[in-house]
Amino acid sequence: MTNVSGTRGLLDRKDLLRRLDQAVTRRLTVISAPPGSGKTSLLRAWADHSKRLHRVAFVSVERDLRSDQRFWCAVLDAVRSTAGEAPAEVDQVIDSVLSEIAGQTEPVVLIIDDLHELRSADAPAQLEYFLAHLPSTTHLVLSSRRDPPIRLHQLRLADAIAEIRADDLRFTEDETRELLAGSTVSLSGEGVAALHQRTEGWAAGLRLAVISLTGHPEPERFVAEFSGTDRAIGEYLMAEMLERQPSEVRRLLLRTSLVDRMNGELADLLAGRSGSEQILLALEEANAFVVSLDAERTWFRYHQLLANFLRLELRRTSADEVPDLHRRAGRWFADRGNVVEAVRHLVAAGDWPEAARLVADHSFRWVLNGQAGTIRAVLQAFPEGASADHPDLALAHAAAELNQGRAEEAAAQLELAEAHLGSATPAHRSRLAVAIASLRLALARHSGQFSAVIEQVRMLEASMADEPGEPFAMDSELRGVALLNLGIVETWTGRLLEAERHLTEGAALARRTGRPYLEVACRAHQGFPSASVSVATARERGLEAVALAERHGLDDRPILAPALGAAGGMAIWMGEFDEGERWLQRAWEVGAGHVEPAIAVLLHLAAGMVHAGRGQQRSALEAFTAAARAQSLLTGVHALAPRITGWLATTQARLGMPAQARATLAGPSPDPGRTGPIVNARAWLCLVDGNPGLAVEALRPVRETTPPIEPFTLVEAHLLAGTAYLRLGDRDAAAAATAAALATAEPDRLIFPFAMTEAAELLGVLRHHETAHGALLADINDQLRGASPPNTDRVPLPRSGELTPSELRVLGLLPTNLTRAEIARDLHVSIHTVNTHIRNLYAKLGVGDRSAAVQNARRLRLLSNRNSAAAPQ
Amino acid sequence: MAVPPSLYTIRIRGRLGATALSAFPTMEAELNGAETVLTGVLEDQSAMFGVLAQIEALGLELLELRPAEPAPGRESPASGEGGSP
Repeated sequence: MTNVSGTRGLLDRKDLLRRLDQAVTRRLTVISAPPGSGKTSLLRAWADHSKRLHRVAFVSVERDLRSDQRFWCAVLDAVRSTAGEAPAEVDQVIDSVLSEIAGQTEPVVLIIDDLHELRSADAPAQLEYFLAHLPSTTHLVLSSRRDPPIRLHQLRLADAIAEIRADDLRFTEDETRELLAGSTVSLSGEGVAALHQRTEGWAAGLRLAVISLTGHPEPERFVAEFSGTDRAIGEYLMAEMLERQPSEVRRLLLRTSLVDRMNGELADLLAGRSGSEQILLALEEANAFVVSLDAERTWFRYHQLLANFLRLELRRTSADEVPDLHRRAGRWFADRGNVVEAVRHLVAAGDWPEAARLVADHSFRWVLNGQAGTIRAVLQAFPEGASADHPDLALAHAAAELNQGRAEEAAAQLELAEAHLGSATPAHRSRLAVAIASLRLALARHSGQFSAVIEQVRMLEASMADEPGEPFAMDSELRGVALLNLGIVETWTGRLLEAERHLTEGAALARRTGRPYLEVACRAHQGFPSASVSVATARERGLEAVALAERHGLDDRPILAPALGAAGGMAIWMGEFDEGERWLQRAWEVGAGHVEPAIAVLLHLAAGMVHAGRGQQRSALEAFTAAARAQSLLTGVHALAPRITGWLATTQARLGMPAQARATLAGPSPDPGRTGPIVNARAWLCLVDGNPGLAVEALRPVRETTPPIEPFTLVEAHLLAGTAYLRLGDRDAAAAATAAALATAEPDRLIFPFAMTEAAELLGVLRHHETAHGALLADINDQLRGASPPNTDRVPLPRSGELTPSELRVLGLLPTNLTRAEIARDLHVSIHTVNTHIRNLYAKLGVGDRSAAVQNARRLRLLSNRNSAAAPQ
Repeated sequence: MAVPPSLYTIRIRGRLGATALSAFPTMEAELNGAETVLTGVLEDQSAMFGVLAQIEALGLELLELRPAEPAPGRESPASGEGGSP
């Protein structure tokens, strides 16, 4: 009664298959046993056999996998039926896996094989989170050489786990007999018993023995010798098996052992022969520890035990060939775009310069795709200090550092790279120069060296134009980076028409070349009003950028902060202060402590507007001061600088600090054409000084300029003039100025200036004369009376019932010293989830930070009665 | 003479051949009955885990790992980097 399945010569191990079947009702099966115990064979057989009953997803962890992101993407690919993009953040990938599984109609069995190969420090917590959130209809199977790093004890107590260990996997004597009967080997009963005893039912030992016994002239003698030797089983049998192969097969096995995977072509290249694919197929069919990796059987790998043995044997017998084999493999992988593998082999071959060049060619793309982890992993293959000798490595380091916001480290690496420019070959030099220029650009933008950025872009354009005929690999990416940085700098320096052109072109290029991160980055900087873009349109664009980022799973990236700030700022201009504050809060959150100074200017200024609009002059002063401080960190002058100066001085004047206000205004004067906010502030000072006539005179150029200056400054100027006329007793002129303000404010519903200038009295003058802007007027009056305009959703402080149980659990841990990551661990959720809860909590509590959240929660008694439920175990 | 704590003895089941022994170039091997005894300096935990990983990767069976006892015949334990015989 022999049952050998398929061509693989594998035995159907009925008892073990039944145990796996029965385990499906529990949450988890753990298979934990040393290599060669037959874990993978058993799982493959079981997966085949249970396909009829469940949806089976099978994931084999690739060798020495350090990226948890890659691991979870593989899981995601396995569980979903159609291929698609994976989110960039690992926590989001895990959540996608969970929602994908939750969406399946039939029960899912998820098998993860070779889990011991996953070498990420975060993996245990992620697996625990994953297991805790799996739908109850899902069964997880983890197979590993060692017990998986999750709390098995609790699962055992709950009887939620089935375990299969080394002893369970041993072949019985009957199974050994079945295995031999299914092969062409004929062996006596004593021979079978001796073989079983000597191998102790170890699956790999039995399989190796079968290979050596197949076609052996004297099988009984083989078993007798094997039984009589004290040699270690695995090594003895592998040596025997290798010994019995024809010499060309032996040569193939040894020389291909250095690569983790191969196809016929790579095997031919390494073995120095042709027809390797046929040999590999034959070996797989003979169950000789060769495994095909795809359904078409074109990619193969060796069983780990055999691969390790072969590598040792190759080094022992042909050490001098090893570097050349690595070099060949490295170049082969490089030609096929597998850079990580290529670098690994080239470094192993001692060929650092070529490996370094490969890194340089690709690091930009990795940065643009948010694969900073890949850069770091590849850089780890090099010895420390290698970047001092290799400018390309220094460049890759610089890119990685900049990606993490470490400007100084990035600058140091760039200097290392530049030091080598002179000694590089001409072709190499121009490539290096372009890469350096591009990174300098990002670095200069980061530190607000606006004119340097523009200069760098010119250099870049010139050097790219130098080689028009040469197809340059990074052309489109470099161009994208240049357009992005140029557009950002033009935005911050107020050259909005140029910015519009460059960012639109950059975004289109990014879309064409499939670079969502770059596209989001460009779009995120287009939410600002200009001569051709109204406030309402700018707001729309900010929201569109956010939506685009959400579609690509990029909505928690710092690069989105300007879009969030724009969406908030425009809401504030329209009088929706609560709404605006929520967006600003999100902007700070995505910045995660690394908000670029130019963006911080925007966010502080917008926060100051909210306070000023609500009449909270002290808080407004703080925010405007913070904006001024952020501006001072920039080498160049931010487009918002005159506005900061103007409102800072205004607020100082209103708080009875005229001397400080005058000092603020005495600073460097802005470019002609941008003096509007400063003039308005001077008018404010005149009003505070009791000199309305002077205010009217001061405002005249702002109000009468043709073409008119930007509406938000103009509305404020009209309103200030109206107030001045009122003080002068000229009610008609006051009414006319107010009407002009309303007419200018109408298209974009610019409510904020009315709140800022406390225009209630002025509007009272108007009411008898002018009703053309009735709807806007009603909204403004609501705002001035402290009520919200009709289309804002003001959030009242919540009762405890309005917080979800999960939010309450997180809230319960906020008064502690636990970090967000620690809270995530305590609650067995991902940090992404904790961040979401905290964001919602802050919004619902109407606060911007943790201590304010705790304060408000205490005040609302949300903490006291929930403490016990929320406390960590 | 005090034994430096970094000198270790590892007992593996079965006699290892030249191929398997080449996985432990820094350790001195001694075939003892049906066992192989490896002795050598393991600088730190990483070195120790490295050797254990090799043992696992080759499907060898680890019987024991312990700090080495002073061996009467050995001159200096620190010179235990001689490699395999």
